[in-house]
Amino acid sequence: MSGGLRERLARLKAQASSAKPAEDNGDGSGQEGGGVPNSFSQRESAGATRSPADDHALHPAFERIGVRQVDNSHGSFLLRTIPYPLHYAHGLYELGALMRSATRLGPVALRQNKKEEADREPELDVGKLLFLDTETTGLGVGAGNVPFMIGIGFFDEEGEAFVVEQTLIRHPGEERAMLFHLLGRMDGRTHLVTYNGRTFDWPVLVNRYILNGWRSNGKEPGHLDFLHPSRALWRNTLESCRLSRIEEDRLGIARGEDVPGSLAPELYMRYLSDGDAGHLEGVYHHNERDILTLVSLAAHFGALLGGDEPAVSPPEGAEELYRTAAWLDVHGQSERSERLFEALIGREDAAAWRWWLPAAARYKRLGRYETALPLWERAAVRAERAALPSTEAHVELAMYYEHRAKDYGAALGYAEAALDLALRRPSSPREPKRVREERDELRKRVERLRRKLARG
Amino acid sequence: MNPLTGKAATMDEWLQLLKGHPEIMANVTHWQTLPAKEARTVPLPAEMDERLKQALGQKGISELYTHQAASYRAVREGRHVVTVTPTASGKTLCYNLPVVEHLLRDDSVRALYLFPTKALAQDQVAELQELADRMDADIKTHTYDGDTSPAVRQAIRNAGHIVVTNPDMLHSAILPHHTKWVKLFENIKYIVIDELHSYRGVFGSHVANVIRRLKRICRFYGSEPQFLCASATIRNPREHAERLIGEPVQLVDDNGAPSGEKHFVFYNPPVVNQQLGIRRSSVLESQKLAALLLRSGIQTIVFARSRVRVEILLTYLQDLVKGELGKKTIRGYRGGYLPKQRREIERGLRSGEIRGVVSTNALELGIDIGQLQACVLNGYPGSIASTWQQSGRAGRRHTSSVTFLVASSNPLDQYLIQNPDYFFGRPPEEARIHPDNLLILLDHVKCAAYELPFEDGDTFGEEKLSDLLEFLAEEKVLHRAGSRWYWMEQAFPAHNISLRSAAQENFVIIDMSDGFRVIGEVDRFGAPTLIHEEAIYLHEGVQYQVEKLDYPEKKAFVRQVNVDYFTDASLAVELKVLHADRERTTGAIQREYGDVSVTAKPTIFKKIRLRTHENIGSGPIHLPEEELHTSAYWFSFSEEAAEGRSANDMQMALLGLANVLIHLAPLRLMCDPLDIRVFPQVKSPHTKRPTITFYDRYPGGIGLSQRLFEQHDELLEEAGRLIVGCGCMSGCPACVGPIEEVGLLGKDLALGLLNKARGME
Repeated sequence: MSGGLRERLARLKAQASSAKPAEDNGDGSGQEGGGVPNSFSQRESAGATRSPADDHALHPAFERIGVRQVDNSHGSFLLRTIPYPLHYAHGLYELGALMRSATRLGPVALRQNKKEEADREPELDVGKLLFLDTETTGLGVGAGNVPFMIGIGFFDEEGEAFVVEQTLIRHPGEERAMLFHLLGRMDGRTHLVTYNGRTFDWPVLVNRYILNGWRSNGKEPGHLDFLHPSRALWRNTLESCRLSRIEEDRLGIARGEDVPGSLAPELYMRYLSDGDAGHLEGVYHHNERDILTLVSLAAHFGALLGGDEPAVSPPEGAEELYRTAAWLDVHGQSERSERLFEALIGREDAAAWRWWLPAAARYKRLGRYETALPLWERAAVRAERAALPSTEAHVELAMYYEHRAKDYGAALGYAEAALDLALRRPSSPREPKRVREERDELRKRVERLRRKLARG
Repeated sequence: MNPLTGKAATMDEWLQLLKGHPEIMANVTHWQTLPAKEARTVPLPAEMDERLKQALGQKGISELYTHQAASYRAVREGRHVVTVTPTASGKTLCYNLPVVEHLLRDDSVRALYLFPTKALAQDQVAELQELADRMDADIKTHTYDGDTSPAVRQAIRNAGHIVVTNPDMLHSAILPHHTKWVKLFENIKYIVIDELHSYRGVFGSHVANVIRRLKRICRFYGSEPQFLCASATIRNPREHAERLIGEPVQLVDDNGAPSGEKHFVFYNPPVVNQQLGIRRSSVLESQKLAALLLRSGIQTIVFARSRVRVEILLTYLQDLVKGELGKKTIRGYRGGYLPKQRREIERGLRSGEIRGVVSTNALELGIDIGQLQACVLNGYPGSIASTWQQSGRAGRRHTSSVTFLVASSNPLDQYLIQNPDYFFGRPPEEARIHPDNLLILLDHVKCAAYELPFEDGDTFGEEKLSDLLEFLAEEKVLHRAGSRWYWMEQAFPAHNISLRSAAQENFVIIDMSDGFRVIGEVDRFGAPTLIHEEAIYLHEGVQYQVEKLDYPEKKAFVRQVNVDYFTDASLAVELKVLHADRERTTGAIQREYGDVSVTAKPTIFKKIRLRTHENIGSGPIHLPEEELHTSAYWFSFSEEAAEGRSANDMQMALLGLANVLIHLAPLRLMCDPLDIRVFPQVKSPHTKRPTITFYDRYPGGIGLSQRLFEQHDELLEEAGRLIVGCGCMSGCPACVGPIEEVGLLGKDLALGLLNKARGME
């Protein structure tokens, strides 16, 4: 079992004498400040770690990729900058589209951030958004997961371009300089726009700041994390809620040849071991696309929430139609929501039936029984024709007639019909407890209604 | 009516009645009375915070026991401390007083408490909370373990003054996420490690490394906490504490707590078959004694060595006293019970509602169940220290108590019961750890690198760290940049490393004859030869055939049968010496210590007819081979010592001797009997002579065989004494093994070889 390791340990012993003391490269230089950054302050002076590789010419592949070395008071790292014109279309949306609809994303930010933080920035300003996506060496948010590449994007001050910046560290010793750069970019910006950044990218970065000697000053950046809205809409309708799936199916973006994000750690390890920056080309490309997609995704949700153009056509699938309507509803867009609900209940196709009941539940909540009632009735008709009928519509109707309309006769009719439906389901000893309980409930309801009727 | 079962007014009265019963006294081989001890106290320290003094006063504490005062002082002086005292001596105050007092002075102070189990952690929180409430102080104490809800976790990280957790949680959840615990680590002043003695062997070696990691993280955040440790009685508390935490430690062992008179009774069940050396079941005898105690109204705890034994004893006892005592007044207690159920049992014991409890060593640790009056040990618990701990569960401060040690027929128990001086005359065992076992060390170097990059010049344990780092860099686990070594792998290392040895997993035996019923368990190493498919497995004298062995799930399904044969499996063990480090020759015996490789694979089993012992069939066993690289100690006999013996006689002599030694070894080592293994060879390929080898049952070794190598002479001497002292005729399970295994002359052969070799010194 441990044979292999034994040999390695033996080899380890043999090499005991060959370990050389490392040269001390820490130059302890430079604490010239760089403005008090956003969320963190440096706790102690800490010298930059430099490695001999830093001073060598860049690997030719880096030239091809188009990076330059940046030096700051904390050391050096590599930076790639790509400005995009605002009319650049990444899929359905031009990047500039967001400039017009960003303020509409306010309700999304409001739901994702603590109230006091949200109150601080009541209006979303597109210039104060920082789009962020990291590539890390591992999974999880433990202290040892290192973001080796940080991709960010922002609209420049002149409002003329969208700028993508990608930082890369040639070894973990350059991390501090890279983190310092990011702090500068976060300065003055109010929200991080991410896909799962609230629970992944940002916590990982917090770890790195702490490990590199910074301490939180208690201020948290706001989040606009589009994972949650995407899940709300596409949880079941898309094969997965991965960004690449959404791009292709909803944002009209074709990635073409792309390195999957899951390969990034391995490619970086390869680069670390042989120094060939060629391994990283695909990672750069992938990360850059991700940043652009974040803009498109934000524009898409902005359009849903009422950006004037391009008007998003209502989703075709019934489930997505329902989920979009419900999502708009909780984000304060009751009119838009209403229109989608109307479209949904106006449809008679099989895919739409199962959403009548949840739609009816909304109308019931709003006290709009005149709309809920016909929906339940239509659903009840469908249920009676189904092979494996659900009793839900009948139960709703029975409840309505018993408690609101006080029409016990009608209520009993629906309750009995519901019990019939329940008994029509083949019963088996392995049926879930829930099914049995439902039958018992129905029996009780029928009995109660009969008693009420008998009392007159 | 048996007067012993009438209600006795006092323990002393009951013991007098017991002495008048020849049928019980006939089996009592030794009766030791330990005198009562007066309390030794000192006034509360003058400098102690008034609020704390008042709170103690409310609890009826106006003075401190000498050991409490000594440890309070040592902590105030800034030392690392280990306090060693027996059960129920007010040990928790030794660390709680200084910690709580500091918190009263300074609200920003933080402390981390480590307990080996969750249950102990919960007890501790309740106790601290009570103390804080009495002082009306806002001291936030929380447990942090697998059961803590995510919402509460956040609050604990930021605001908990005292975080109470276990080493496993520290290893896999806190240290790898230390950046979420900035508040704790920046302000940590105290690390409390209670039940220090339980951190020994493989587990202890892991924990020592977790503590190395903990200290590293503390240094990173600029803190240098004091370690306050508490331990049950072991021989080397200070050395053990120092090895575990890697710092010089002050020992406080001046126990000032009072204790009542204590009776320690050795009880050996009567022999029922002289030739085979079979005694009456220790389970039945334990049950008889426990029932006598319970019927007399004496609150009693029974300790059994396995979970299954606990259940069996419990069922017997509940049946036995049915009608006299309610079923709910006698309870079981072991791992696998739900926490809520355990709490209820502990409460019942404290209040006296529960009159009897049958437990595994789960209750050996300091869970608060109050003090009982009597203790029955079903079988020797395996170490002197454990025995005192378990016995300490009975013993009130001012009245008498009794402990019965009921011997089983295994050689270790029989040796002890016949040599009471061995037990009473000797300090408890040493707790040993070997934190620099390369495999364990490497595992934790990985975890440590994940938590914080290593820097040239750093140290971690005794081995040369730079070599380990180079090695891990070659493995592409670490990446070196300048003078630093960074974790550079996708995996999360702590997930794949468990602090507790896998050897604790047993195979359960499930009888399918009538429904499914668990009837017993077999340890992992016995499984391949005892419960392979088609094996005949004996349990309480009943034959079962193994129908299916689910190896990955560790279950054997058996069915009751009635056949006239038993099965005997051959295990092909191959032992190869890789390297001998030390060597010593005394007379006819040469011993060595070094590294070995052991492979074991069960091959075939034979069906052997009862009585005639003729071979009536055989079959193959299909189970995977296991390979182990570990450290070992072996000794071989010179040609002169061996001469005149046929190969077969030599085989039997070595086997008999090995059987005796392997039962004595854990006694000396204070280890689990499964941690060390023995292997006799008539002609070892390495020594070319008759050889007996002991090896650590853990990859890389954990220092056990090394200790045996050093204690070789005493070990052989004890073996000789045990064989001579055994009352059987030609070998029995209590000495060299049953005659089925070592033959009719096994006992003589083993003793002959031993005496000849020792005579030639």
